[in-house]
Amino acid sequence: MRRYGFFPGCVAKESCKELFNATMLLAEKLEIELVELTAASCCGASVVNDVNRDVARVLNARTYAQAEALGLDDVITICSTCTGHMRAANKELLESEAHMDHANSVLAKFGAKYQGNVTVRHLLWLLVDDIGLDTLRSMVVRPLNGLKVAPFYGCHIIRPENVNGWESARAPHSLEDVISAIGGEPVDYAGKTRCCGFHIQLEKENVAADMVGQNMAMAKENGAEAVITPCPLCHLALDGYQADSAPRWGRTDLPTFHLPQLVAFALGVPAERLGLNKHLIDPRLVLVDRELIA
Amino acid sequence: MAQVKLDIYRYDEASGQPPHRDLVSVEIPETTTVLDALETAKAEVDGSISFRRSCRSAICGSCSMTINGHTVLACKTPCNTVMDDEGAIKIDPMTNFTPMKDLVVHMDPFWDKYRRLRPYLQPADEDSAHERERRVSPEDMKKLVDAANCVMCATCYSLCPVISVDPAFAGPAAIAYAYRFIEDVRDAKRPERLAQINEDYLWLCAHCYACSACPKHVDPHDRIVDVKRASVQDRVMMNERGPRHALVVGRTIKQTGMLAETEVIQGTIGRFNVAGLLKVAPLGLRMAASGKMPPPFLKPIPKVDEVRTIFDTLEVPTH
Repeated sequence: MRRYGFFPGCVAKESCKELFNATMLLAEKLEIELVELTAASCCGASVVNDVNRDVARVLNARTYAQAEALGLDDVITICSTCTGHMRAANKELLESEAHMDHANSVLAKFGAKYQGNVTVRHLLWLLVDDIGLDTLRSMVVRPLNGLKVAPFYGCHIIRPENVNGWESARAPHSLEDVISAIGGEPVDYAGKTRCCGFHIQLEKENVAADMVGQNMAMAKENGAEAVITPCPLCHLALDGYQADSAPRWGRTDLPTFHLPQLVAFALGVPAERLGLNKHLIDPRLVLVDRELIA
Repeated sequence: MAQVKLDIYRYDEASGQPPHRDLVSVEIPETTTVLDALETAKAEVDGSISFRRSCRSAICGSCSMTINGHTVLACKTPCNTVMDDEGAIKIDPMTNFTPMKDLVVHMDPFWDKYRRLRPYLQPADEDSAHERERRVSPEDMKKLVDAANCVMCATCYSLCPVISVDPAFAGPAAIAYAYRFIEDVRDAKRPERLAQINEDYLWLCAHCYACSACPKHVDPHDRIVDVKRASVQDRVMMNERGPRHALVVGRTIKQTGMLAETEVIQGTIGRFNVAGLLKVAPLGLRMAASGKMPPPFLKPIPKVDEVRTIFDTLEVPTH
């Protein structure tokens, strides 16, 4: 059984616990072992950079040193923001001897050292690269019956391209490929690579809700019945703010699935184990409509 | 040679008519830029097609337009990288701007935001005569070179999702250009510049990196973060939500190793800001009703002392 270092990030351990649980259930179905890096810290969440240019890099170097010590150089994330910021830190460490030396000089204070062997990838990339779309398709026991699903990538899994670069930031298609593989019908819309506004939701009233409304209105207009996202921050924004955006952007009420929830469902995990009742916009209704659950 | 079909947005504000689209075919080498394809269309097919252009080599920043849904410089975009199997290319005016004529837009809001930030050097001895040039060391200049490369093409502004819903935001280009003066050792108006940029919603940048598509590699997002750090360093408007948010996130990571969601919300809005907290209460209640509340207190991660050592060693501000 292939083993991976698993970095769940903060939100999957706090307000999106259903994402953590769905990921572990999916891993069981995929017959992979996700070994949680339990002593890892927050990646910096794109915010600590705003006050100090080094702290995110060194925090992540500490996480990578832990992964190496456990023999888990292949680290998997389930959050777009974690993916982008951990990869950005790793890129700086691997490309600059000065940054690596600086980080290790801090880590030396508690006897840790990062050797530079870690790679950080998102679960979405693991699905496509390690499992493979054909294998995934062959594992489906409950195809989605043509459910029209709008992919919502979130920013940090695709941008900036020189940090991620696994697929085109302008025209990504991995989520569409996964949706098709599990029997859904991907919905194309301009909002799929745009921002959900999560990081500024507390900064100024209505801005994040407007960004959600703008994107979800496009998805709805193009026929979406549901949304899928690889990022719990996007999930919180999309699931949480559609009620607030309705007065200005019209009612959209699109239920939002975490990526591993919908894949695990198609692979046969019972809906009641996936935490779908924890969403503000109940995603079970579209599954009933498509006669996927009773 | 290839048959390139330009699917062009056509509009004339002065005519009072609604916009329509024209399909214009030109026979050109497929490695030709979209700008040259438009020039050919204008010269050979329809002289009324309007677009801005000058240098044709990504220096003047005039020919930004939306090609297949993404804002780019037409002069830097070869046709064969954007045309579909039938040779079609969809061309629209820049998003986040009001169209004037075809691909020409009203640039005024973009320039207004530049002007508010006084995009020119304001040295201390501005009014006195001086006998020689003001010198800058190569090290000091190196910090400014990327930001100074901006050609004001507005690609980043057009792609910015915050601008699309809230035009009060200064936008990536103006903030990146403000950085160029804030960090210039010859400039004497750093405090005034930082105050102005905070007024113009510096902290409304959503960290989305849409502006990483900058054709001149200014990396406006990274410059915005530089300005935020300068702002925190100089303790500018520290009681506003942006800096409070950045500091409380760091504070909770230092305390627990994790970003503690509950404390971040309270710390950003203000524990005693009842009106502010009431505004986020409806979402909080909806989340509570779905059993989706983050825990009020977090247990620190194992070896959290190591995280605290990192914060202390790097002297990361948390208040």
